[in-house]
Amino acid sequence: MASAYYEFYRGSSIGMALTDSLDELITSGAITPQLAMKVLQQFDKSLADTMVKQVKTKTTLKGHLHTYRLCDDVWTFIVKNPSFKMESNEMVSAPRIKIIACKNGEAIEAGKK
Amino acid sequence: MSSFALPARQLNFGARPNANSQQQFTYQQQQQQQQQQQQQQAHGLALPSGSYQPQTTTTNLALPGPSPLSNSYTAPQKPTGPVVSSTSTNALAGPSSPQATTPVPSTPVPLTLEQQHITAVEGIVPTLQNIVATVNLDCRLDLKTIALHARNAEYNPKRFAAVIMRIREPKTTALIFASGKMVVTGAKSEDDSRLASRKYARIVQKLGFDAKFSEFKIQNIVGSCDVKFPIRLEGLAYSHGQFSSYEPELFPGLIYRMIKPKVVLLIFVSGKIVLTGAKVREEIYTAFNTIYTVLCEFRKP
Repeated sequence: MASAYYEFYRGSSIGMALTDSLDELITSGAITPQLAMKVLQQFDKSLADTMVKQVKTKTTLKGHLHTYRLCDDVWTFIVKNPSFKMESNEMVSAPRIKIIACKNGEAIEAGKK
Repeated sequence: MSSFALPARQLNFGARPNANSQQQFTYQQQQQQQQQQQQQQAHGLALPSGSYQPQTTTTNLALPGPSPLSNSYTAPQKPTGPVVSSTSTNALAGPSSPQATTPVPSTPVPLTLEQQHITAVEGIVPTLQNIVATVNLDCRLDLKTIALHARNAEYNPKRFAAVIMRIREPKTTALIFASGKMVVTGAKSEDDSRLASRKYARIVQKLGFDAKFSEFKIQNIVGSCDVKFPIRLEGLAYSHGQFSSYEPELFPGLIYRMIKPKVVLLIFVSGKIVLTGAKVREEIYTAFNTIYTVLCEFRKP
């Protein structure tokens, strides 16, 4: 069950903070590493679900698609000179970004059929 | 029987306007080529086409592709200039007709069909829109490795058992199969198709496969053009019922299956024409020339 979720949110700042805290707790002997793993798996699941169900913020992005790739249901896009238009009409740009897009929530189940 | 009107049209350009058999046509072509030889390239340059040189080059370069590699190419081959004319003859006569094996005149600079057509059909030359070619890389491929390491690749084995890869120059798409077979589509010229195929083969090679570049063959050529007058499709469908299929409730264009050359044409009321099913570009030009005479008959008043 837990393996159905990607672990990439662990690399986000909130994921890093959680990992650090769990590390500390393990070192101090407050929890076992097994429990820490369970927590992280729950984190993967919760964040994935939350992203699907609760995050409604949108942004539009324009730029030059330099490279794309689809393998194992994961899309990778490298976009040059992207400019993001946020919902608040704020513009953000960068010389180059990489987008990794994975299936989430119901899409994973749909893909299995 | 309109598809046999072709030689007559062609001959507008040549010396004798009455021939209507392939035999005579071939003779005509030889005559033209001899003239061409005498006048050398000045003749070609004097024609209205501004693109004489590039076109000739294109044809010359494209020919080595299908000929030495594919087994299905039956026309007699010679190493230099005449190769072009052999293809022209072949294209006109149709691969299955006995004329395909007619000895080829050995003139160094044959008149390309395209030039003839420019003269024959009021400056309308079909534009090539798509060329589909196949290549055998002659090596089993691990598609996942390719999808993971190559750029601009898609691989979704649940949907389709090939890697879909694109390059920007020449702008084409390739389908790469695990067997090592590859289909390259989207090129606008034979040269581009071949160049793109080579690029894909190189990409696969660079990923560590022992890919070769073999059996390159152009499978289909699509062209289009506009005769710039409206056409009575019903009339055309009625009098050319043998070749035509016109079902406006299913599709707004008339589907014309020409026998010689074996090309399928989609003819629209607007005068826009799509030609497909050709293996060499000359077949597109020939088919257009043939149909143009017919279309003039069915011009809307």
